[in-house]
Amino acid sequence: MTETIVNNIADVIGWETIRTVVGLVGVLVVVVVNALVLTWAERKVSAHMQRRIGPKEVGPFGLLQPIADTVKLLAKELLTPQNVEKPLYYLAPVIVFIPVLVSFVVIPFDARLQVKDINVGVLVILAFSSLSVLSILLAGLGSNNKYSLIGSVRSIAQNIAYEIPLLLSLLSVVLMANSLSLRDIVEAQKGVWYVFSQPIAFLIFFIASVAETNRTPFDLPEAESELVAGFHTEYSGMRFALFFLAEYTNVFIVCAMTTTFFLGGYQGPILPGIIWFFAKTYLLVFVILWFRWTFPRVRFDQLLNFSWKLLIPLSFLNLIVTGGLLKL
Amino acid sequence: MVTGIIEDLKKTLTGIDVSEASYGQNGYHVAVEAQKGSLVNVAEFFNGRTFYLADLCCVDYVDYLELVYFFNHHKTLCRVKVTLKVEPEKPTAPTISHIYTISHWYEREIHEFFGVYFEGHPNLIYLFLHEGIDHYPLRKQPTPVPEDDKKLLNSFNPEGEEDTFFVNLGPQHPSTHGVLRVVLKMDGEYILGAEPVLGYLHRMHEKMAENRSYVQFLPNPARIDYPGALLLNLAHVMTVEKLCGIEVPERAQYIRTITCELNRIASHLLWFGAFPADLGALTPFLYAFDDREQILDILEAITGSRLTYCYFRFGGLYNDIDDTFIEMTKRFIKRMRERFEVYDRLVTGNVIFVNRAKGTGILEQGEVHKYGCSGPVIRSTGIPFDIRKTEPYAAYDKTDFEIPTGTVGDNMDRYDVRMTEMEMSLRIIEQAIAKLPSGPFKAEKVPKKLKPPKGDIYHAVESSRGEAGVYIVSDESDTPYRMRWRVPSYSNLMTFPFLARGTLIADAIATLGSYDIVVPEIDR
Repeated sequence: MTETIVNNIADVIGWETIRTVVGLVGVLVVVVVNALVLTWAERKVSAHMQRRIGPKEVGPFGLLQPIADTVKLLAKELLTPQNVEKPLYYLAPVIVFIPVLVSFVVIPFDARLQVKDINVGVLVILAFSSLSVLSILLAGLGSNNKYSLIGSVRSIAQNIAYEIPLLLSLLSVVLMANSLSLRDIVEAQKGVWYVFSQPIAFLIFFIASVAETNRTPFDLPEAESELVAGFHTEYSGMRFALFFLAEYTNVFIVCAMTTTFFLGGYQGPILPGIIWFFAKTYLLVFVILWFRWTFPRVRFDQLLNFSWKLLIPLSFLNLIVTGGLLKL
Repeated sequence: MVTGIIEDLKKTLTGIDVSEASYGQNGYHVAVEAQKGSLVNVAEFFNGRTFYLADLCCVDYVDYLELVYFFNHHKTLCRVKVTLKVEPEKPTAPTISHIYTISHWYEREIHEFFGVYFEGHPNLIYLFLHEGIDHYPLRKQPTPVPEDDKKLLNSFNPEGEEDTFFVNLGPQHPSTHGVLRVVLKMDGEYILGAEPVLGYLHRMHEKMAENRSYVQFLPNPARIDYPGALLLNLAHVMTVEKLCGIEVPERAQYIRTITCELNRIASHLLWFGAFPADLGALTPFLYAFDDREQILDILEAITGSRLTYCYFRFGGLYNDIDDTFIEMTKRFIKRMRERFEVYDRLVTGNVIFVNRAKGTGILEQGEVHKYGCSGPVIRSTGIPFDIRKTEPYAAYDKTDFEIPTGTVGDNMDRYDVRMTEMEMSLRIIEQAIAKLPSGPFKAEKVPKKLKPPKGDIYHAVESSRGEAGVYIVSDESDTPYRMRWRVPSYSNLMTFPFLARGTLIADAIATLGSYDIVVPEIDR
């Protein structure tokens, strides 16, 4: 009975659409759960690195703390400062999410678990992940706050600088896999993960993606000691929470990308692929948290010099060597 | 040095009255009486010999106002008091702000508290009292502020130019360490000009002192510099002891040294936590606080408080230390030595940290005397100026320690100097505990009501930030006629506008953090 109903519906709107809708719902669940987990993880990791215990009252090991935080943020008044550019100010926390969600679509969580395998997946994910700077720009322009403005200007310069090494280091992976589809890239790492055959590209990619997500030591757009809170200085309550959610989702995405491109994605012995995928991703997430709680922040000119003078030439060199070795 | 200066003064300058003072009684070697015409020449004389302006204050003697300038030399001890009498009605005096940069602020302060007009001062606006005043607060007779002077109150209006904008750094900002406000004129990320705006924590301790007896003022110094409360407590107590000629027993001197050094480490640890936090590393803060907590526990056991100590009394201490204290201190020294290695691994060797701190915020050695800097800020430039060595007090002359100095005067040097200083403090404590004599901890026969003889005295101690001096004028009553606090952060902060100019905002924040300023101390 149910089968016929489902088949009838599928005939009308098509299996592909159902698959996409279910996939998007799944992605949303992953986004929310991941943000909750990362809030908790960041507090716990930072606490233990600082000789503290961290949240422990709400639920076992403080596991329900993120939910309490969310409730608090939801209950807070949404303050709108005077003289803000209202359209930009309201729009920024909303559109911070769109590029993040789209990036999820192409990530292969398991061999058969992917919302859509697009044959130019690498381009899609790069294009959309770099779009997130747009909302930072809007927040900075619309907030009518000089700290926000400086923060968003920094963010743009930083994104332009680190987009290039990110792409160049990926090109060598694409050359080796001979495909732009993410699943093909993972399948190509059946024998050797690219982290071993492309170690330089891996390092450049990981450093650049930390910079892309505005995390320490590259957290200049929200440098607390300089710009108070950077681009989200004027945001409070749920609007602030949306920026936070987006940041954690971005962290997850860059780690998922690194896993897919360099750590063999869902590949691994014995355990199912999805567990391997999440284990690898969260290991990288932990490394990023680790950075945050041990490193100071680089200066603006040092940040740009590091990219333009070191990472970009190095990734070019890496690309040329890879291309030469593969095609000659 | 002292006789040389007197002869030199007499030879070079006319129209001044030079006399030798008793250092033991007054705390300065030479007293100079200048006239309005000769004051600038006197200042130029001392500037040429790289004397720094330790303090500039004013005393109201009703018949006349007396401006008191304290000069001292960083390398050879020679404290000089220069006085200038000005009339009480519409008082005017020549400015020396073109010679000594720090007197920009001192003169503004005297202008708002006494109503003295400094001729030639480029920007004679109020320093602390933005809210406005009706009467000059430190005058002995009620003296109303003239109506046309009140317009000066809100005269700080930065005018924008093309392509520049102004940022108010503070008073609510994570890295201004309290409620300091700095108005930054920026061109993108670069700072074109910085102007500190003080007064958000102004409580007028100097006026309070005039309204209470010497004993009643005992808790106040702890509120002036809260991280180094004992050190300022000592400054106050020692000045009054010197003024009244009270002898302090040997044991008390040693205990004062031990507790002061413990407090100095606590204060430096607070800075050690805050400085990397200014650079974006938040974890060292918690590590430093963990260690600082141990010191607070030790000091709480004997002083009864954890932050705003009031432990020293005229002629001794509040109570004696016991074996548990010594045991705890020894344990702390052992623990702290191990912790320095952790700090080195966590912060000192970090590439990002070194890149941020090296070569930024460079203070030139030749310039420091114009700002009157002291403490680790001046030692980072290579001048081994430490009052614990130049004018030893308590039991510092009986312990063996070195003064760490830097070479370049950048943020990294200031960091290194403070870190080494903490190790030196441990060394001092260790020696003082080993040599600790037995005996009374309090002088006998200290009268309940202190009535010091007529006269004035300047006495300085080395607080964790630099030279903390007290100038007391006594009129034989049980309250000071005038008590003046010379605080180190004040003159150290004066260099900030010059170091910040032309740097990136991130470097300016690092420089501000490396000073270890305490805003309540600046505002008093």
